[in-house]
Amino acid sequence: MASESPGRREDASSGKSFDEVYAYDATGSLAGMTHAGADGVQLALSGVDHTARPTWKLNETVEFYRDILGLPLVHAITARGWGPPGHHDFLHFFFDAGNGATIAFFYYIGSDRPAKYEPESHHFYMATHTAWAVDTEDDLIRWKETLERRGVKVSPYTKHEIIESIYFNDPNGYPLEITRKLRDVERIDEVDARLTLDAAMQVEAECRARAEKMPDIEAVWRRKAKLVDDYRRAG
Amino acid sequence: MIDVYVLDVPEFHPLIEASRGVAEVTIDGPQQGYWRISAPTELRFNRKAMKMKPAVWYGIFTGGLNGEIAEWGRDEVRVIGTNRPL
Repeated sequence: MASESPGRREDASSGKSFDEVYAYDATGSLAGMTHAGADGVQLALSGVDHTARPTWKLNETVEFYRDILGLPLVHAITARGWGPPGHHDFLHFFFDAGNGATIAFFYYIGSDRPAKYEPESHHFYMATHTAWAVDTEDDLIRWKETLERRGVKVSPYTKHEIIESIYFNDPNGYPLEITRKLRDVERIDEVDARLTLDAAMQVEAECRARAEKMPDIEAVWRRKAKLVDDYRRAG
Repeated sequence: MIDVYVLDVPEFHPLIEASRGVAEVTIDGPQQGYWRISAPTELRFNRKAMKMKPAVWYGIFTGGLNGEIAEWGRDEVRVIGTNRPL
């Protein structure tokens, strides 16, 4: 049972500053945090509710998501400011992406897009993206061919290790991906992910101690060889 | 000695199949979910011969590599032995 009853929970709208409302901490420090294994509480999530990004193109965004992609516009919020001082009046609106998930946008009234929010043709920028799931290969092909008929520029198919994807951009420049699973994730994938990240984290820590950047992925692959060898022997 | 560790999943099986019958190359496993491909001085892999898509090819050593990459291209990779510690 929750220790705080709903009526007694602190309400973010009473926050007096941006940092308080959004629990913002610019340091990124983990100091003072404890691990999930330490308190015996097993938390669980049930998928994505929504992702959200700012837009300075209200008309194009609605036309693209609702009219061109055909995602239902299912919810919209309008507000005059919001809690902390300096907040713009805004619209916040949501398009249905299936399975209970939505993709949402904020339109901050009277604001100009800061230069750092301009889209860039660079993998750092593309890393922040939304990937939607489809169930079958036929579904993926249907999305690609239909979007292309509707005039959307869509990438060729890319087969990664366990997913196959197509990519395109919205009118804000935000990268979108539609993907299908090529196979289920198995227990050995989880083991392999742990060993890969263990190797990479070890290399990162050692490089940091020498005030160096990680040199290349080969450094990770070489450490991984040691960890996999140990793992195989232990079995 | 060069060792390449390969996770026992379909997308990486071409590495194992391509290494079978190659002179001086030995294959061991799968053990605990990993194959090990070993060779005394050199290992070569060819992407097209393995019918591997680029996105998987560029991660072919993600299972672990005890060796040094001497050549790294879109279609051909050559690994040589090294005494550097892992």
